[in-house]
Amino acid sequence: MVNTNTLSIRYLKTIGIVNNGFNGRGFANPYDVAFGPDGEIFVLNRCDPARRSAIRVGVCNLAEEYLYEFGYGFGDGDGQMTLPVAMAFDAEGRLLITDEHTSRVNIYSNKGDVVSKWGVKGDSEGEFNGPAGIAVDSAGLVYVCDQRNHRIQKYTSEGKFLSQWGVRGSEPGEFNLPWGIGVDISDNVYVADWRNDRVQKFDSSGQYLETIGGSGEGSLNRPSGVSVDRNGNIYVTDWGNERLQVFDSNGKAISSMRGEATLSDWAKDFFESNQDEMETREISNLNPDIPDHLNTPYHISSQTESYFWGPVSVRIDSNNRLYVVESNRHRIQIYEIE
Amino acid sequence: MGNKEKSIVVVQLSGGNDYLNTVVPYGDDEYYDFRRTVHIEQEKVLPIDKVYGFSPHMAPIKRLYDQGKVAVINGIGYDNPNRSHFRSMDIWHTAQPDEIGTEGWLGRVIRDLDPSAENVLTGVNFGRGLPRALGVRGVPVASVGNLETYGLFPDIKDESAKKLALDAFAHMYGGVQGKDPVLNFLGQTGMDALKGADILRTAPQKYSSSIEYAANPIAQGMKSIAQVLLADFGTRVFYTQHGSFDTHSGEIATHAKLWDEVSGAVGDFYDDMKEHGKEDEVIVMIFSEFGRRIKDNGSGTDHGSGGVAFLVGGEVKGGMYGQYPSIKEADQLEGDLHFNNDFRSTYSTIVDKWFGLDPVPIVNGQFEQFDLVNA
Amino acid sequence: MNKDVSLMAHLMRRAGFGATRNELEGYLEDGYEATVDNLLDPGESGHMPDDIIRRYHVDQSELRQLDGAGAYWLYRMLTTSNPLEEKLALFWHGLFATGYAKLNQARALLNQIEMFRHYGFGSFRDLLVELSRDPAMILWLDNNENHKEAINENYGRELLELFSMGIGNYSEDDIKECAKAFTGWTLGNAEYMSVRASKDSIWPYGRIAWHYEYRADDHDGGEKKFLGKVGNFNGEDIVDIIVTQEATARFLSTRLFQYFASDEVDSDGELVISGMMEAYFQSGYKVSAVLRSLFNSDYFKSDKCMYSRVKGPVESVVGTVRLAGTYQEPTLDVHSLWAQTMFMGQGLLAPPTVEGWHEGVEWIDSGSLVERINFAAKELSDPTKDGVKDIIRRVTSNQKDLSDPEKLVDSCLDYMGPIQVQPDTREGLIEFAESQGAVQIQNGQPDENASIQVARLIGMIASTREYQLA
Repeated sequence: MVNTNTLSIRYLKTIGIVNNGFNGRGFANPYDVAFGPDGEIFVLNRCDPARRSAIRVGVCNLAEEYLYEFGYGFGDGDGQMTLPVAMAFDAEGRLLITDEHTSRVNIYSNKGDVVSKWGVKGDSEGEFNGPAGIAVDSAGLVYVCDQRNHRIQKYTSEGKFLSQWGVRGSEPGEFNLPWGIGVDISDNVYVADWRNDRVQKFDSSGQYLETIGGSGEGSLNRPSGVSVDRNGNIYVTDWGNERLQVFDSNGKAISSMRGEATLSDWAKDFFESNQDEMETREISNLNPDIPDHLNTPYHISSQTESYFWGPVSVRIDSNNRLYVVESNRHRIQIYEIE
Repeated sequence: MGNKEKSIVVVQLSGGNDYLNTVVPYGDDEYYDFRRTVHIEQEKVLPIDKVYGFSPHMAPIKRLYDQGKVAVINGIGYDNPNRSHFRSMDIWHTAQPDEIGTEGWLGRVIRDLDPSAENVLTGVNFGRGLPRALGVRGVPVASVGNLETYGLFPDIKDESAKKLALDAFAHMYGGVQGKDPVLNFLGQTGMDALKGADILRTAPQKYSSSIEYAANPIAQGMKSIAQVLLADFGTRVFYTQHGSFDTHSGEIATHAKLWDEVSGAVGDFYDDMKEHGKEDEVIVMIFSEFGRRIKDNGSGTDHGSGGVAFLVGGEVKGGMYGQYPSIKEADQLEGDLHFNNDFRSTYSTIVDKWFGLDPVPIVNGQFEQFDLVNA
Repeated sequence: MNKDVSLMAHLMRRAGFGATRNELEGYLEDGYEATVDNLLDPGESGHMPDDIIRRYHVDQSELRQLDGAGAYWLYRMLTTSNPLEEKLALFWHGLFATGYAKLNQARALLNQIEMFRHYGFGSFRDLLVELSRDPAMILWLDNNENHKEAINENYGRELLELFSMGIGNYSEDDIKECAKAFTGWTLGNAEYMSVRASKDSIWPYGRIAWHYEYRADDHDGGEKKFLGKVGNFNGEDIVDIIVTQEATARFLSTRLFQYFASDEVDSDGELVISGMMEAYFQSGYKVSAVLRSLFNSDYFKSDKCMYSRVKGPVESVVGTVRLAGTYQEPTLDVHSLWAQTMFMGQGLLAPPTVEGWHEGVEWIDSGSLVERINFAAKELSDPTKDGVKDIIRRVTSNQKDLSDPEKLVDSCLDYMGPIQVQPDTREGLIEFAESQGAVQIQNGQPDENASIQVARLIGMIASTREYQLA
């Protein structure tokens, strides 16, 4: 739990369990989360090669009911996905999913019907080379991190190109393989400028405003995702440091969290029918001291179950709940912001 | 001496098949207590008797069972069950539960059937890479990914270009033997491969049948096996697999689909053999590396131990063998069905009663046999 | 054929995974002995960065399964600037063969490989101590079951038999005493981790990686008698005694000789091994010194040594891919490369038993040979691949007239290695080149058809018997 004068972030619960199959509850390398109108939590399963034929979106809710799922297989056919990265609902309640392999945005209804798609591979205006993060502003306009073109592109939700900014580089306003993207209530745009180890803030026309987490306290290492709450606090999944880094609206680092996952209901069900594992788990120290040569955030997280491992996205729902998606642990840690 | 005409087809269900939802103890209320979510409803079961019945997705196998052609081997397993896919599969493959074995039991069967390795096709695996069950040093086994394109240069699509490549290959590998033993060995092995492939690829052309196999991989695998078996190349051991039966989540849907596919494929294969008058010369053995937990996890089932195997064939004495393990809490083995017969009993039965070979060195010991094939 | 190029190509087939002509030219500028020195003291290697791999491949970030872990290591082999570092790690992986099947913990295996990179060139003493502390090894050989009150001899036995001295150089009592010295060497949360391993459990939240833990209360601190010495030995003391043995020097030198020089050891080879043993003791057990002695020996540089080894499947796959120039960027199907090594009989990170793989001609059977040929032929007969393009460019730019199939074949053999082939093989290749018709060059450039023809010939060379040898 984090408390500052203005902000309290309280751990609520963990949802998810690893799914090594092709259907059913649980997540398979979840990469992003989005929120439906009736409390549905949409989870994008990127899936590893062994499970890629079952690449899909799973839908559950905060009470951990697994509601339904949809997917159309691995590939570049209609509705299919290859390496999906991120998703967001547009103003009409349709789900937009980016795919960094096919350089496409797929559009689905919130029940999973295939609606349409846009995007081709290239580096001209409107084209993509590895689209990654996606966000929708209050006017329903769509921002996409065009990863390997090192730029941000802005579209209508039908995919009509509006504008772009950024080139490859490390100066302000330049990018190196940007990943996640978020907008605040004033439609400012925040970009997880992944390989420049920083978040950059722009206005909605792409005017550079400031750099967050570039150096000093809270400095970032390969940030993957960024979201901003209604008070302007900025939440970044600091992927390379395996943590959640929080900044206030002035960009000042105010807290840093490694995660505190507990067992989801689905996980409890698992232990219910696997007592042998439960018993040996109970005598274990699940927060062990790690020897020096394995003392990197990645190694520590790989051995510490409650910590974030592979945090790839952070999103905030309409009830001010914060969701951190962990690809390597197949779960979502949920926090309440007050 | 082995009986020359007899062969076996081994179908491996990879991932751990859920015994309780395959042969369902639908007459036992406790089944529904432990399986609150992941169960098969009483009225859907295909009954064997008042307590047990087949999954509704095994209709073709039920049909053959009713004809007395299916032996159900209940409660199969081994001491100190291992619940890791790799390790448990290894144990089934090498017939060595206590240490890491080096030789596959079917590889040994092949060696004993064809001690001087005269026929490179005595053992044929359908799938890429060789299962350890077939692996014994010096025992050639063909691994066939796709029967139609099997052999060298499958990626050259142009037929005339392929022919040029194969001609050049024969020239390079089949030349006079030189004094370097390694190059000679490579030459010989290359020519063996060329020969084996040439023979195998003719099987589909020789084949005709009224049976239409489904399009899924196991059905196509069984069709390829039928083609090779009916082409009379002297193949005695066939191997194939299907999966994944690792149903930790969404089991009901997945398990149903898998068994629809497997039982359809095995049923079609039997009918195909019967159409060609061969149903008495081949046995199909279906097994999995372990069964699954008695209690479900709310969506699927986790790795368990005691399981079930099936033997299907014209000469099989159909019926239930072994004992269906009790699912009562007190009778469970660490939350699993308690196995009551060692898988090597079934292996021994096949090796001895079907192939007429000495089972002891093949399965690493003496095991009680079942009386389930007509000798 | 240029002798210097030929010798450098030989060195790189052994100390690496072969080399492209561009790479060979770079090494030749340094010269043979300087190249050997650089290979043995590589410093930080350049390779595809971890963050790039992890962002693209979720499976190689999580490392839950074997194929992803295997692919991760293959990327390193494919893109490293220090091939000997990986080649030597692969040697240790075969010698200290630890397999996924029992562990179900790919991360721990890769940590072990990283340990090989770190300690592999240095003192054999340090390497054996680290090996004894390696969590994957501990679980693989049951040292987590080796207790003060009830010893488990598995690790103690294999340490002596398979990892350091070889059978016949110690007694059964030495094994027991050795095992006692390693009691208490275990991994953190051993009980939970071993249940998870034995069930292949990834639940609820994926794998939990392992770390070493010493349990003093489970260590037998009593007196032990080992190889004639007496003391209250702990594991390190045992290793200290092992490394001073002549048997250890012989065992290590012989295994290195067979891996890097020749499958068979003849009397000339014995002399080289004596030199390696001397280097072992003089350097204070340094592996790099032993290897330097080998690579700089006249025997190693002789014609007799060239092509006297059957390539292992992993070196065959990696060598072919490096020559083709593919997989330099994250590539969707890289995990299938791992499967290829499995189909050819050497599943990386999955040795069949603690004895590792049977090497030499035992790599070859009709199934594995077909896999090797089909893989290499497909990879190298594609004229769109950078490495293949480069060979085509060199072949075509060096020869005005490509209508002579003999010259074409010789030129391709040269730029693919150089590779030396038997007369039968050369005739077969010439016949193939002839059958394709003359290669046309326009304005010094091969047209598309000519590129395809040369590429097919390159694929054919990759299908020869000689290509199976290093």
